[in-house]
Amino acid sequence: MTRDDQVSIAIPTGALLNGALSLLAASGLARLTAEELGRQLLLERGEVRVILVRPSDVPAYVDHGAADLGIVGKDILWETPGSHYELVDLRFGDCRLVLAVPDSSTVDGPDTWPPLMRVATKYPRTSSAWFEARGQAVEVVRLHGSVELAPQVGLVDGIVDLTATGRTLRENKLRITAVLGSSTARLIANQASLKTRSSAVQSVLSRLREASGRAG
Amino acid sequence: VTPQLGGVPGFRDLLPLEAEILREAQESLLAEMRRWGYRHVITPLVENMDVLDLGLGIEQRRRLFKFTDGRGDVVALVGERTVPVARLVAGKLRAAALPLRLCYAGPVLSTDEGRFQQRRETYQVGAELVGASGPVADAEVIALAARCMEATGIRRYQIDVGHAEFFHGIMDAVKLPDEVKSAVRAALAARDFVALESLLEGTPLKSAEHELLLRFPALRGGPEILAAAGGLVRNRRSEAALSELAQVRDLLVAHGIGDVVNLDLGAIRDFDYYTGVIFEGYGPDFGRPVAQGGRYDSLLSRFGRPAPATGFMVQLDLVSEMLTRSARPPALPRIDAAVAWTGSGLDTALRLGSTLRLFGMRAVVDTESRGVAEAKAWWHAVGAANLIHCRSKAVVSWSTQGQRTRSLPPEQVAARLAGGLS
Repeated sequence: MTRDDQVSIAIPTGALLNGALSLLAASGLARLTAEELGRQLLLERGEVRVILVRPSDVPAYVDHGAADLGIVGKDILWETPGSHYELVDLRFGDCRLVLAVPDSSTVDGPDTWPPLMRVATKYPRTSSAWFEARGQAVEVVRLHGSVELAPQVGLVDGIVDLTATGRTLRENKLRITAVLGSSTARLIANQASLKTRSSAVQSVLSRLREASGRAG
Repeated sequence: VTPQLGGVPGFRDLLPLEAEILREAQESLLAEMRRWGYRHVITPLVENMDVLDLGLGIEQRRRLFKFTDGRGDVVALVGERTVPVARLVAGKLRAAALPLRLCYAGPVLSTDEGRFQQRRETYQVGAELVGASGPVADAEVIALAARCMEATGIRRYQIDVGHAEFFHGIMDAVKLPDEVKSAVRAALAARDFVALESLLEGTPLKSAEHELLLRFPALRGGPEILAAAGGLVRNRRSEAALSELAQVRDLLVAHGIGDVVNLDLGAIRDFDYYTGVIFEGYGPDFGRPVAQGGRYDSLLSRFGRPAPATGFMVQLDLVSEMLTRSARPPALPRIDAAVAWTGSGLDTALRLGSTLRLFGMRAVVDTESRGVAEAKAWWHAVGAANLIHCRSKAVVSWSTQGQRTRSLPPEQVAARLAGGLS
């Protein structure tokens, strides 16, 4: 099988990995375990090449055409719009992007927001757009990890972060005051792959689509 | 303070090999366009903002480098070159009879660092056919685009042809409230089919057009796709688009490029700008289109000279990148002769250099006097095929790889090199 009729799929490490592997198995395209993929990062199985990358790197691989298809959380796509096609809601990896403040904070609904809201987040683009749409001045502090810590040490009024169960927030004495959006895993495709390698890509695409429909 | 030797972020220096590939590609493109009777025009890098406002959308305008000139006019560095050509056709070329065939080449600038390689300056070569409407003109421009891709040396390319009116007809026909329609347009522009699906799911009125919108990315193939889509649309605009596409496709077969053409009814482009047949050219294993174009019949009227028009541009940077990465990447042409000298040999060296160049060879004459050993070192540094060391008027010594050095009169060396002898 040559590179030409093989379809490459970028899948993310982290929370969506198991869902992505189940989907690949259910579609009959590839049976892979997280362990073997973790060792190899790139595996070829018949008509597909599976590439394991960091979640936020999936759009880059797909937009540049290094992967024909990608599985990625909608939350990542909010931050990195690109030239890819977003084709299927895969209906796993449910989580919400929320605004959370310390339990002790007086901040609650929009009328209690301070004149200039300071929030810490890994989602600066989405956060700014959301507050701006509500006429709220906001100063976004971009952090790369342990966002929950920021309000506790007085860096910010609140955080905008992703949560599935809300447990981490509760453990850090934070409460949710608003939901900015809901995210699930999405199937994205390179714009040129859909055209230049249409039949191979469309065939893999429809098997993944069908498998995700059965699971959901 | 150390100066920023890397230049301004987003602006690239092209080193000799890259510059050579880019220039070669540009010349092949312009040469192909001239073969089809397109005349080369050069428009300035700077345009008045009020001119650009007429042709560009809000987003494109936002990304322009703008400043004021001494008179207080707001001017901008061009972000594309079709609007300047339209200005030319409606202005200085107003008296020229239509149709006009024009081509251009040059850099375009954007304040945004693009998603790819963070480039703010890229190079475009384009052709515009102004004053001709209908499938014959559409097919000419598409065939020209295909031959242009071929002319640069790209093997295995394809052209996807669609029609803006097919989309407009569908949007007219779907029964949706205006605010949902604009959300549908936004979702399509963002290529977000998950959002599109949920927008359409929420509406009670289902139609065939509804179904077509959802299948947009898959509405692609050979001529059979036209019949399939024809069975689904129930509106005149889309039907007219399909029959025009069928004609264009037949003409492209006659142009001899039927095998590289696909029909793509789901092509997503700037639908506010394009009014008819649209197309994109793709090269092998490259994540984005190399050439883009289509019919834009409403632009010229905004400049006061209503005329139908179609055209395309090729992203020159992408072409040269493809060539660089191809199986046999182009190499920098070799310097033919390094001409060194010492003592009274300078005059001979300068004359020999002129003679060799007259024969079309690349010759570098040394700027300082060197002995035999130093001259050889300099020869290797220059990377030339031959070394000619001039020590007197009568005889020079000629070295070439794999042969012993010979002493000959300079005219004989020139004659042998020019004749391709060693």
